Amino acid sequence: MAFSSTRRQRGATYEIQRGYRRMIIPALVAVSVFAIVPLAGMFGLAFSDYHLIRGSEGRFGFHNFVRLISDGRLMGSVYVMAILSIFGVVAQVLIGTAVAVGLQKIVGRWRMGRVLFLVPYAVPHVAVALIWLSLFTPTLSPINAFFDIFGITVPSFLTTQNGAMFAIVVADTWTNFPFSMLIILAALQGISPDLDEAAALDGATRIKTFFYITLPLLMPALLMITLFRFIDSLKHFPMIFVITKGGPGRSTQATNFYAYVQTFQNSNVAYGAAIAVTLFLMAALISFYVAKLNQRVSS
Amino acid sequence: MKHLFTTALVASMALGASFAPVHAQTEEVNVVLFGMPYTNGLQDLADQFEEDTGIRANIEVIGQDVFENRITLTFTGGSDDIDVVHAPVIQVQRWIQAGWLQPMTEYVAAMPGADDILAGPLNAYVVDGENWAVPFMAGAGLMTYRQDVLDEAGLAVPETWEEMLEVAAAIHTDDRAAIGLRAVPGQGFNMFIFPMIMRAYGGNFFADYEGGDLTPAINSPENLEALNVYIELINEYAPQGAGNFNFAEVLAAAQNDQIAFAVEGTGVVSRIVDPDLSQYAGVTGIALPPGGPAGRSPAIAVHGLGIPTSAANPDAAARFIEWAVSVDTVTQIALNEAFPDFTTGPVADNPEVIAKYADVHPDFLAMRVQALDLAIGHYRPLIPDWPSLGQAVGENINAAVNGLMSPEDALEAAEQEMRDILGLY
Repeated sequence: MAFSSTRRQRGATYEIQRGYRRMIIPALVAVSVFAIVPLAGMFGLAFSDYHLIRGSEGRFGFHNFVRLISDGRLMGSVYVMAILSIFGVVAQVLIGTAVAVGLQKIVGRWRMGRVLFLVPYAVPHVAVALIWLSLFTPTLSPINAFFDIFGITVPSFLTTQNGAMFAIVVADTWTNFPFSMLIILAALQGISPDLDEAAALDGATRIKTFFYITLPLLMPALLMITLFRFIDSLKHFPMIFVITKGGPGRSTQATNFYAYVQTFQNSNVAYGAAIAVTLFLMAALISFYVAKLNQRVSS
Repeated sequence: MKHLFTTALVASMALGASFAPVHAQTEEVNVVLFGMPYTNGLQDLADQFEEDTGIRANIEVIGQDVFENRITLTFTGGSDDIDVVHAPVIQVQRWIQAGWLQPMTEYVAAMPGADDILAGPLNAYVVDGENWAVPFMAGAGLMTYRQDVLDEAGLAVPETWEEMLEVAAAIHTDDRAAIGLRAVPGQGFNMFIFPMIMRAYGGNFFADYEGGDLTPAINSPENLEALNVYIELINEYAPQGAGNFNFAEVLAAAQNDQIAFAVEGTGVVSRIVDPDLSQYAGVTGIALPPGGPAGRSPAIAVHGLGIPTSAANPDAAARFIEWAVSVDTVTQIALNEAFPDFTTGPVADNPEVIAKYADVHPDFLAMRVQALDLAIGHYRPLIPDWPSLGQAVGENINAAVNGLMSPEDALEAAEQEMRDILGLY
């Protein structure tokens, strides 16, 4: 009798679990169709010799990856991507954190003001890029016009590599810092105010409290934001496409943009796919490392 | 009771459906174009096409930047969602080689208004004896100049790039630069402008394009001389930040009294000299672009309409193209938009059209015809690899303009990349 009851209980658990498993089938199908199939296609193309115009001669192998190793433009594009990603992500996380800490202190009706800080995040990237292109073009920029009144010449950013990269980082930061701000704000609200009060009772200053109590507790959220923003920053495209078109020369062609140039402008689909695969593997490696780091920090 | 109600509702809907009027399915043609005055005007007239033919035209006008990506994805995917495609002449050879366009020879032969299309632009789309598209516009390179500035300095309109350098040195000030030129890298951007200087100095992209020798020759002394002139004009006599200028920035600078000269396509020039769009239009003149030891070579850009191989409805597409380039349709667009670049000949005889563009500028239409007469069809080489080649050359030239490499190194790098792209190692 007892045996039969246990089996019935196990059977019920099994049925529930089977139900749950069935529920994830739509998600699995969606992921397969929209992520795994295109990814498999990209990997397949990367090993082929498919050219948009000339077609394929049927070569299949590692030739595109061998070419990648000696491709100076790829190395240059990785450097550009690294600079844009590191400076962009650091700026977004720092500004996002600072704004979140400031906003958390705001109480009452003024809390609605938080919405204002989300506006840049809601603007489409191409529109953001056009706004900043105007602001960085000396003949169109109101900033230049303002300083001209005092006889001060603002340097031309878009005609030097560092200036153009700075412009892209600024535009990218402006539109993406609210994401960091939102996550940090949520994390801050999860920290008990008792900790701050206890620290204050022990005589800790606000700065010390922030650095020794709040910041360590924010670390998992900060790592998560950094990971998300870093992976997203590897896909730099609209800002470069609209603001600099990869120039001056090729000095702002990040790896993702270079893959686009090879695929669409040079018709080298197979080589463009090989660049994309490399970028994907880099992102996966970084994600894996950051996820492990996150686990260590959380535990 | 609830079940009864539901059953009744479903039954009534089912019965109703069986008696609902059945509309005949309207024939449709899907058109994808990129934004310019003609295409915007055409989109506004879409209903007229449906009234005339009973075929609904779904005209989608997208940005030029995204157009190429969109149609490349459609064509390579074999999707049949485009019946008529915007076909810039510099892309057509590539599309033909890829098998993306279908020949239109029979359609063109059967077109009642085929003789109205100007022969030069129409023939630009003839490859291997077949017509691949029908032109709707041919833009040319022209120069605008501020007559008041030249009068004040006691100078004449420069006839050569050499003279342009002298005039620019005389009129350039901190408040108003001498000239604005496109410089941003791209086969449709700086490579629309630079070849005007290059060809004036006798330079070429290839050793003998017309003779069929496509050995790159971009690093020739003539091209180097031309590049030095281009760099000097942009770095010494153009506004701050001109190394990243595209046509929009040149247009804005001309309209805002920030430059005295602009060398641009007719589409931009028509806006610079339009009194409704620029307060300096009244003191702005139009001339042919400067020449050099090898003469003058105004830029030319021909755009047309083609039918993709994958088009679901090619016959309806051909009817749409016939309507889109007809005298009636093009006349309406020329009157409604700033569109003087039409290739449907009789439109130029329409008194309203003549009056409209004479009001914009008395010399405009005449200068445009002169520029088109001087322009060579292969201003930018008509070969399948041109988009890649133009991009590579344009990027290196932009690097030289912005001081990232010397002019010599830029042309040497461009030469090497042209060889790589063409498979000439």
